[in-house]
Amino acid sequence: MRHGKYRFIIGFLAIPLALYGVLVISPFLQDFQISLTSWSGLTPEKNFIGLDNYQKLMHNDLFWKALWHNVLLLLFVPVVTLGFGLFFAFMLNVGGRRRGSAGVAGVRGSGLYKVIFFFPQVLSITIIAILWQQIYNPDPENGMLNSLLSSVGLSSLQQSWLGDSSIALICIMVVMVWANVGFYVVLFSAGMASIPGEIYEAALLDGASRVKTFFRITLPLLRDTVATAWVYMGIIAMDAFIYVQLMSVNVGGPDESTDVVPLLLYKTAFRDNSQYGMAAAMGVAMLIVTLVFAILSMRLSRRERIEF
Amino acid sequence: MGSEINRRDALKRAMAIGLFAVPATSLLSACASSDSGDTSKKPSSQGTKSADNPLGVNKGTALEAFVFKGGFGDDYIKSAEADYNAKYGITIKHTGTQAIGPKLQPRFASSTPPDFMDNSGADNLDTAALAKTGKLQDLTPLLDAPTIDDPSKKVRDVLIAGTVEQGQFGSKEMYAFNYAFTVYGTFYSNKLFKDKGWTYPQTFSDMLALCKKIKAAGIAPFTYPGKYPYYVHFDLLHQIGKVGGKEALNAIDNLDDGAFKTDAVKEVISYYEELAGQGYFLQGSEGMTHIQMQTAWTQGRAAMVADGSWVENEAAPTMPKDFDLAVGSLIGSGPNDKLPFGALYAAAGEPFIVAKDGKNPTGGMELLRIMLSKKQTTNFTNAIKSLTCVQGAADGLSLTPGLTSANAALKAAGPNVLNSRLQDWYKKLNNETIGNLTLDLLTGKIKAAEWIDKAQKASDDTKKDSSVPKFKHL
Amino acid sequence: MTTETMQVDGEKAAVPPTASAARWKWRSSEGGVLNAFSHVFLLVWALMVGVPLLWALWSSFKTSGEILTHPWSLPTDFHFDNWSRAWSKANIGQYFLNTAFVVGLSTFGTMLLGSMAAYVLARFEFPGNRFIYFLFVGGMAFPVVMVLVPLFFVTKNLGILNTLPGLVLIYIAYSLPFTVFFMTAFFRTLPTTVAEAALIDGASHTRTFFQIMLPMAKPGIISIGIFNILGQWNQYLLPLVLNQGDTKNWVLTQGLADLAVQQGYQGDWGALFAGLSIAMLPVLAVYIVFQKQVQAGLTAGALK
Repeated sequence: MRHGKYRFIIGFLAIPLALYGVLVISPFLQDFQISLTSWSGLTPEKNFIGLDNYQKLMHNDLFWKALWHNVLLLLFVPVVTLGFGLFFAFMLNVGGRRRGSAGVAGVRGSGLYKVIFFFPQVLSITIIAILWQQIYNPDPENGMLNSLLSSVGLSSLQQSWLGDSSIALICIMVVMVWANVGFYVVLFSAGMASIPGEIYEAALLDGASRVKTFFRITLPLLRDTVATAWVYMGIIAMDAFIYVQLMSVNVGGPDESTDVVPLLLYKTAFRDNSQYGMAAAMGVAMLIVTLVFAILSMRLSRRERIEF
Repeated sequence: MGSEINRRDALKRAMAIGLFAVPATSLLSACASSDSGDTSKKPSSQGTKSADNPLGVNKGTALEAFVFKGGFGDDYIKSAEADYNAKYGITIKHTGTQAIGPKLQPRFASSTPPDFMDNSGADNLDTAALAKTGKLQDLTPLLDAPTIDDPSKKVRDVLIAGTVEQGQFGSKEMYAFNYAFTVYGTFYSNKLFKDKGWTYPQTFSDMLALCKKIKAAGIAPFTYPGKYPYYVHFDLLHQIGKVGGKEALNAIDNLDDGAFKTDAVKEVISYYEELAGQGYFLQGSEGMTHIQMQTAWTQGRAAMVADGSWVENEAAPTMPKDFDLAVGSLIGSGPNDKLPFGALYAAAGEPFIVAKDGKNPTGGMELLRIMLSKKQTTNFTNAIKSLTCVQGAADGLSLTPGLTSANAALKAAGPNVLNSRLQDWYKKLNNETIGNLTLDLLTGKIKAAEWIDKAQKASDDTKKDSSVPKFKHL
Repeated sequence: MTTETMQVDGEKAAVPPTASAARWKWRSSEGGVLNAFSHVFLLVWALMVGVPLLWALWSSFKTSGEILTHPWSLPTDFHFDNWSRAWSKANIGQYFLNTAFVVGLSTFGTMLLGSMAAYVLARFEFPGNRFIYFLFVGGMAFPVVMVLVPLFFVTKNLGILNTLPGLVLIYIAYSLPFTVFFMTAFFRTLPTTVAEAALIDGASHTRTFFQIMLPMAKPGIISIGIFNILGQWNQYLLPLVLNQGDTKNWVLTQGLADLAVQQGYQGDWGALFAGLSIAMLPVLAVYIVFQKQVQAGLTAGALK
C-alpha cells in the first residue's frame, strides 16, 4: 500500500513536473544566471559581471517609475474590474424587481446583458487595441470619443487621451477593465446563482436592504471565487505589457507616464543596444514584487469559507 | 444541500464513462531527441567567380530571406528573389513579417540567423549593436562588384551620395544597405497653398507670419504624431544643421559635450517654443498616431507636417485626388545660416543586412545586387512610389506629385543634404528620451531652455552609459 | 439545486404583484430606485462594450477613407470586397483552425496534468509536497516577457520550436501554475470518504482518481478550463516568438497582429476591420450558443 502510494505520487507528478521544470523553471533559472552577465543576447558567449546590473537598476529612475506604474495597475485594475463585475452580477441576479414567487431576481433582460457583457472577452488583444485607438483618437472630428462628446455638447471634456501624461495611464487602465469585466460578471453571476434564494428571502424579510444583503451575504459567500479572480486579475495587471505596448504614445509615454516593467524589459532586451543581462535583472526584480503580491493574495484566499 | 445528490450523480456517471485515462506520456518523448541545429556543418557558400557571377555564388546553396513587411510590402523583394531563383536554381525561403527584433534575436544568439534580412519597422533589431558585435557581413565586396546592367560600373559608383555612409557604424565597413531613398521635410498641399495665396517660407520668422495667416483661416498650421514624436525631429534636428552647419549636427550625433548648447540649437528650439506658445499645432496631436494625424492633415484641418516621402503612399486612402502634395525644404534663421535655403534632409532607408554567420552570405549580397538592377528599381519605384538609392533610377518614370516634388527638392539641394544619424545610433535617446522632451515642448509644458538642458543631460547620460555602443562621424 | 433563482432567461415579463405584495411594499420603493439605478448602469456598460464591436463590424463594409474621416457614419455602400481581401490575404481561416487545435489540446492537457498534480499535492503527504506546490504556484509570478529568450533556446534544443505541438506543450506548462493553484484548493474541499471506500474495495490510486475523484471535480475542472481557454486563446507573446516559422502554422493572435501592423502601413483599413470581424464573429457565435453551458459550468464550479 505504502509502496503503491509513492509510485502513484511519482507517476502523477512526473509529467507535469517535467514539463513545468523544462519549459518554465529552467528558462527562468537561466534568466537568473543571465542577470549576472553583460550578455547582449546576440552572441553565444556571456561575460560574468556579478551584481552590476542590479546596482545599475537601483539607480535607474525609469525602472522605479515603471515599477510604480505596475503597482498602480495592481492596486486599481483588479479592484475596479472585480468591483464592476460584482456590481453588475448582483444587478443581473438580485437587482431586479421581484417577480412571481421568487423574492429576488435579476433585472429584465439580464440574459441579454450577460451575453453582451462577455463580448470583449472573445476579442483578441490586438483587436481591442485597434478599437480603442480609434476611440481615443484626439481628433475632434475623426476621434470616436471626442466627436461623441462634442455631439452631445460636452466639447469641453474633449481630451487628447493617450497623449496627456496625466490621464494616459488611466486611459489604459480603462481598457484593461473594459476588456476583463465581462468574464467576471459571468463568473460571479454563476456564483450568485448558486447561493440559495431562501437566504436572500430570509434576509429581505428580516428587513435588510439589497445593499446590505450584498455585503452581508453575497460577498462573504463568494469569497473564494473573488479570491481566485483577484489572483488572476493580478497576473493580468502585472503583465500590462501588451496593452501598453500596443496603445501607449511613444512606447510607454508620454513622458514615460505609462511605462511598465515588462515593457521596459522588452525594450531593454530586444531593442536598446540589446542589453539582455540588464533586462533579466529587471525581470528578477519584478518577480520579487510579484511574489509578494502572490503570497499576500494567497494569505487572503486561505481564509475560512462560509459554509451553507 | 444539493451536494449529496451531486456526488451520487458523479459516481454514477463515473461508472458509466469508465476509465477515461489518456496518459500523456508520449507527449514528452519528443523532448528527448535534441536537435542542436546545423552549426557544425557549414557548407561553403563560396562558388567560383565569373563575369556573370562576380561575387561567386555557389549554385544550389540554399538562401533564407527574412524581411520586414510594412509600408512597402514585400512583393518587391519577392520579385528580386524570383530573378535569383531562376539564376541559381534554388527557391529562397522567404518570410515577410513584422516585429523583426524579438524574432531574430534568438536566432542571432544561436548563430543560426537568416542570410538576408530587411531589419526595418518599429520593432527592429538594433543594427548598430549587431554591427558592433560582429554579426553582420561587411558589404564592401558588393560595393566593388560590377552592376548587373552595366558591368563597367561598380555598385558603389551608381549609389546616391550618403548611401554608403548610412550603412557604416563608425568604421569603414558597410553593414547595412539602405535600399529606399526618402526625402524628408515639411509636407503640404500645393493646392491648398495656391488657393489661399500662401507661399512656403524660407525662414522661421516668415513661417511664424504664415502660421498666423493659416490660423486666421481656421486651419491649424502644423500637426504631428504624438505617438511617434521623432517625426518632429525630421525637421527639428536638420533645421539645427541648416542653421549651424553639418558640424552642429555631427556634434549632436557624436554626443559631444555641449552639443545642444549651441546658438543654432537655441534658435531652432525657441522657434518651436514660439509655435507652441502661439497654438500653431493642431489640438490633440500629442495623442495621435501617424495615420490619425495624416488623416486630419489630408482633410485640410492642418496645413503642414514634418514627414517622409512615404506619406504619399501611406495617406493615399484619405488624400484627395487634387491634393497636389509638395515637400518644403528646411527653413532657418536667415541669410546667416551656415547652409543656404534648399538644404534638405534626405537619407537612404529600409536597411538590408546580411548575416556573417549565415549559411550563404554571398547569396545574400547577390540578392542585393539583383535588387539594384534597373528592372528591380523600376519595379520598386512604380509599385511603391518611392525612390531608390540608385542614382537616376527614377529618371524617365512618370512620378506622382509628391515624388516629383521630392525629386526636385533633392536636385535643388545639391551637396547640402543633411542626415542626422542620431536615430540609427542612439534610437532610444532620439525617439524616446528627447522625443518625450519634444512632446512636452510642443504641448507647452516646458520651455526651450528646459528642452535644451534636459536634452544635453540625456546626451551626456548616454555617453556615460558603458552598455551603449558609441559611434562617431568619420 | 437553486436553479429557481437563476434568471438566465430574464426576458419574461414581470408578473403582476401577487397577494403577498403587501409584505414587500416597504421595500419596493427601495427596490425601484435600485432598479432604475441598475438599469442605467447596465445599459451604459452594454453600450460601452456593444457599440465598439458593432462599430468594427459596420466599419468592415466601409472604405478606408470613410473609416478614418467619418468614424460614426454608416457605410454608404457595402464593400464586401474588404471581406474577400481580408480572407484571402490574411489567411484567417487557417489561423483559426490552428488556434482551435492548439487551444483545444492544450486546455485538455492543462486540465489533465494540472488535476493530476493538484490531486497528489492536495491529498497526499510526502516529503517535498509543500516545495513542489510553491514551485508551481510561484510560477504565477513569472513575467513571461522575461523568459522569452531562454525559452527560445530550450524549445529549440528540444526540437519543438515553431511547431504546433510545441506550442501546445508551452501553453500547458505556462497554464499549470494557476491551474494547480486552483485545483489543489478544489480537491481539498471534496469529501474523502468516497475515495477511501473505493481504496478499501481494492481500487488502485490511479483508478480512484480517474473514476471517482476526477468526475467529482468536474465543476472545478470546467470553470478553470474556461479560464484556460480564454487565456490561451489570447496568448500573444509566446506564439509571436516561439512559433515564428511558417505562416501556415500561425495562430490567430499572430495573424491579427500581422494584419494590424501591415494595414497600419498600407492603409487598407476596410480589410483590417473585415479581418477583425472574421476573427471575432465565430468566437462570438460559439459563445452565444454555449453560453448557458458556460454559465452552468461556472455555477457548478462556484458551488463546490
